[in-house]
Amino acid sequence: MTSEVFNANPTIVATAAPTARRRAAHSLWLSDDEDSDIYDSDDEPEPIDADEIFDLIRSISDPEHRSMTLEQLAVVSAPQITVAPSRILIEFTPTVPHCGMSTLIGLSIRVRLLRALPTRFKVDIRVKPGSHQSEHAVNKQLNDKERVAAALENPSLVEVLETCLQGAGRRGL
Amino acid sequence: MEEAERYVRTWVASPRDKEIEDTISGVASGQFKLVHVVKALGEYLTSEEGDLRNKGVEFLALVVSKCPPQNFNLQSIKVLIAFFASKLEDTETIIPALKGLLAVVRIPVLIPENITDICTAIFENVKMQALVQVQRHTVFSIFDTLVASHRDVLKGMGDRFLSGYIALADGEKDPRNLMVAFAIARVLALEFDISTKFEDLFNITFCYFPISFRAPTNDPYGITAEDLKSALRSCLSASPLFGNLAIPLFLDKINAGSPATKRDTLQTLAHCLPVYGSNIAANSARKLWSSLKLEIFQPTDIETEGEALKTTQVLIKTIYADEVTDADLDGLAKDACAECIQILKEPEKSQAKPAIKVLCAFMSTTPSVSRYTLSHAVPHLTRLFVDPDELPNRGPVLSLLSSLITAARDSTVKADNAEEIFLLPFKDEVLGVLVTGLKAQSSLRPAIEGLNGMVTTPALLDDQEIGFVVQKVNDVVSSQQEDLLGTRDAALDLLKTISSKTPSHIAQMTLPLLFSALPDQAPGRDDAEGREKYRMGLSALSHLCAQPNLFETLVVRLSVRLGLIYAPATVPEDTEPSAAYAHALLSTLADVLARKVENGDVDVPKYVDRLVPRLFNLFVHGALGTTGNSGMADPRIIDVVARLLNLVTQSLSAQRQETFAEALFAAYLKGNVTPLAVGDLSLPEDACFMPFDPAAPGSQANLVSLFSECVIAFYPEVKIPMSDEGTLLVELLNWGIRHAKTSGQRECASHIVAAIVNKHSAGLDTFLKSTFTTFWDEEIANPPDRYARRRAISAWAWISRALLVRNHPEALPFVNRLFELFDDTEVGWDAARAIGQAGTVDKVLTKRNHAIIKVLHAQKYASSILPKIIQGMNDSTQQSRQTTYLVALAALIKVIPRAAYAHELPTLMPLLLRGLSLPDPALRAGVINTLLSAAQVDLEAGSRTAKEGSVVSEHAASLTNAMLQNSAVSEMPDMRVRIGALKYLAMLPKIVRYDVLHPQKAMVLRELTKALDDPKRAVRKEAVDARTSWFTYSG
Repeated sequence: MTSEVFNANPTIVATAAPTARRRAAHSLWLSDDEDSDIYDSDDEPEPIDADEIFDLIRSISDPEHRSMTLEQLAVVSAPQITVAPSRILIEFTPTVPHCGMSTLIGLSIRVRLLRALPTRFKVDIRVKPGSHQSEHAVNKQLNDKERVAAALENPSLVEVLETCLQGAGRRGL
Repeated sequence: MEEAERYVRTWVASPRDKEIEDTISGVASGQFKLVHVVKALGEYLTSEEGDLRNKGVEFLALVVSKCPPQNFNLQSIKVLIAFFASKLEDTETIIPALKGLLAVVRIPVLIPENITDICTAIFENVKMQALVQVQRHTVFSIFDTLVASHRDVLKGMGDRFLSGYIALADGEKDPRNLMVAFAIARVLALEFDISTKFEDLFNITFCYFPISFRAPTNDPYGITAEDLKSALRSCLSASPLFGNLAIPLFLDKINAGSPATKRDTLQTLAHCLPVYGSNIAANSARKLWSSLKLEIFQPTDIETEGEALKTTQVLIKTIYADEVTDADLDGLAKDACAECIQILKEPEKSQAKPAIKVLCAFMSTTPSVSRYTLSHAVPHLTRLFVDPDELPNRGPVLSLLSSLITAARDSTVKADNAEEIFLLPFKDEVLGVLVTGLKAQSSLRPAIEGLNGMVTTPALLDDQEIGFVVQKVNDVVSSQQEDLLGTRDAALDLLKTISSKTPSHIAQMTLPLLFSALPDQAPGRDDAEGREKYRMGLSALSHLCAQPNLFETLVVRLSVRLGLIYAPATVPEDTEPSAAYAHALLSTLADVLARKVENGDVDVPKYVDRLVPRLFNLFVHGALGTTGNSGMADPRIIDVVARLLNLVTQSLSAQRQETFAEALFAAYLKGNVTPLAVGDLSLPEDACFMPFDPAAPGSQANLVSLFSECVIAFYPEVKIPMSDEGTLLVELLNWGIRHAKTSGQRECASHIVAAIVNKHSAGLDTFLKSTFTTFWDEEIANPPDRYARRRAISAWAWISRALLVRNHPEALPFVNRLFELFDDTEVGWDAARAIGQAGTVDKVLTKRNHAIIKVLHAQKYASSILPKIIQGMNDSTQQSRQTTYLVALAALIKVIPRAAYAHELPTLMPLLLRGLSLPDPALRAGVINTLLSAAQVDLEAGSRTAKEGSVVSEHAASLTNAMLQNSAVSEMPDMRVRIGALKYLAMLPKIVRYDVLHPQKAMVLRELTKALDDPKRAVRKEAVDARTSWFTYSG
């Protein structure tokens, strides 16, 4: 790891409340018991959507500022995620264009989703166009299966990834 | 004299306490004198053999230590000191000699000369390095005693004593001795003249900082690192002379230490600085600040950051402690302030947060610093806010400002005149900025926080200004925008805070606004927007109206609307939307009421007159006639009304309940409903309200729940106004089993029976007896109708429960009868479930409902039933019977306290594992929850690292497989079970050693991908957590 600091004083954004699914407005009745909502007996499937994926990655910590999440630094956001039936596209925005941590951030998103999404999805992870000076290289690295696999063979890299992913289960709380 | 010699000889030959005691009683009774003892020892004291000399001195030391003080005189003391002192030179006798001296210094009548003699002797002859811990401890104890009782003599010895002691104490390592040494050093630093020796004293104390001692496990001496730390800390902070030497050392430790050392140093520094004084603090202020700043702006962890902030506070307080004038502030506070404000020029950046924390910390230092900080920071932030270039950053600016407001409010500084409010001079501009902030979504939330801070600052805003705030916040509450960041709730909380202080503003401005959101008639089925509007209004009202007078208004306004919905000008074709609206109105009332009961508000009982009759009027009228809005008979509405009635009845006094009971029973059982249901609607003259009549229409029978929810809340001393309680109960049981039309009605009957049995069991012997025999035979054991039998079993379980919670002797016989049904193919499982039901915590027999509940009844139940079930499972060879027992176990285990089955877990584990394949999902979920709660305990006990492992380890592999089975949607349709199973899978890696489950890891990760694709979101969430837990599972 280099000790170079890429952005010592990044901008922080206010985080949204944890994604609360609103009660369908068309329902006539107020439900008495809030808890009963999640155990709805109806078998209506709830497909994976952008909010759910955002919940998965929002609380990953930034490799450079461990106490802050990707959401707080506005690296990831719900509108930057698109879900198609079998494809998911995630864009992320590095805090500064010369950010050397971009690949690592992308990799941590990649690993989180590898673990948390069913295999039927193909996941594309990209730097937001125009937000990084070596955009192309980063994108190529993140979406190349072989390269990702190779990176995950590196124990010290995996260790860094695991620390970044430690808080991922908080899902914005 | 001869005796003395005899004692000495015997003791030297075989040391026992007896001879010592005999010698002491000899001395005490005047048989012989101490001198004689010394003489008797003569040969031993001068013996060639080291061992004998040692024993001789030891004997004397023991005698002196146990001898009562009046047996010593000046002469003998002098002799003893001289004697023991001379023995210090001899390596063979130094140990007993020290003990002897310790005994001597404890004699109260020493003269100064004795003290100096002792000290000199020790300083000259004792080499600490040559002694073991216990002996060094003796030396420290001698000085400890001397310092405690002869301090002035030691002071008189001056540097001679100090240098002697310092040389002795130098290099000590044992924590037991150090505890004593630190205590002595503290006294020396505090009270002695150490002006020439402070460096030496510094060296023998500060060398121990920071304490890195870790107490060994099972340490018999029980000295913890904390003890040492605080002893050392009080030593280091004992003299201002240490200051100049100490601060560089501290700085060193802060900059280079581990996080624990950093925290320790910061705490110690905060302890020491006030003692070292403002001069030293001011001189090293810059260096200290630059180290502290690092800890605040690039914190290693949150605790260290907090300590650094506290230390900064202490530093500032120390520097400016003597400052009284408000003239220009100089020095650190000014520079640090300027530095932070410089950083605050970029309010949206991450560094702004620590900067504002520093400024907030300054608010609780000294009045002058607080004033200075505010007078620079507040104008800076308000300027930023109005700067058009900074428009996008208004949110962060207000967030910083509101932190500052809160810090100013919570400031611990007591100004010279206690009334001073630091924020007062800036009130208008701050208020203006915050109110502007309310207008934009991005700055809304911090603006509300800031206003909250201002409103809660005592005496800051006057009444008119609070009215202004309310007016502005009202706009937020009533805005139709989608509430993304939960700002509406925050705004309501603010209004609630205001309402607890000055409810008039809320009553006059907010409530009318919110009531206007409630239409007279429900919006149509397709008008989702209108529905959302009234729901928002209601949720806001429910937030705000717990205040007595606000609640009264709420009750009046909502009942008017209920009346309008019930008897509309034109009955709508579609009654459901209006029923849902009524439900929402009533739920709001019930929610607020529940909160008020929780808070113990005293205005609840009066609603038995204001609200209860109106409700009965409305609903009885509905049940009797055909006019009015028929949608109001919806069971969901009735449920809420029942809840409301229950809450009000609970709060009544026993006397009031008694009269209420009269009216209630008259209405429900004697056909005289009019006095109970007084209201706007007049009931038909010829009305026949007989809900318990088998021929009664469903609309009337539904209202039984209103009756039952009231009856269950009566105090035990409230008399049931019926001629015979037993007959009433029999009739109710009969009605419940045969005539009730819905399960809800049946439950109501059981509730009443249970409540009355619980509270009046003393007078119900005949009823209980006949139930136990006749009812059992006729209703449960024999009838052909299996559904009737089930209903009877459920009622039976309710009676058992009523007896059980009050530890009634009949409770267990009642429950035990259920086992008789285990072979019955029709109702065996129902009986098994009823065993669990009898132990289930319910909402009827509660303290709130004034039920008689004895402590530990659940434990008692578990300890008598659980063994029976386990035995039954092991005894029965029949498969079906075993399954029935398994059902009973699954039903019981989830309702009894963990402690009641913890010791049985090794036996239970295989049984519970079988329970995971029971066909009933509810039972499986119960078993999984039991396993989860057991696992939670294992987790807290750290069983993964424990040597013996947990009970789970033994079954880990089978548990893993069973849970995987239960987690797949293809195998298990009930999502509760899937969620439970996944939670348990997530738990396993945390409680089982890695080597046990290592072979399963790959398989589990593979299998869990199925659950990642579950149709339900809540299940997927648990699947992700479980999979993550297994991914990071390693040795």
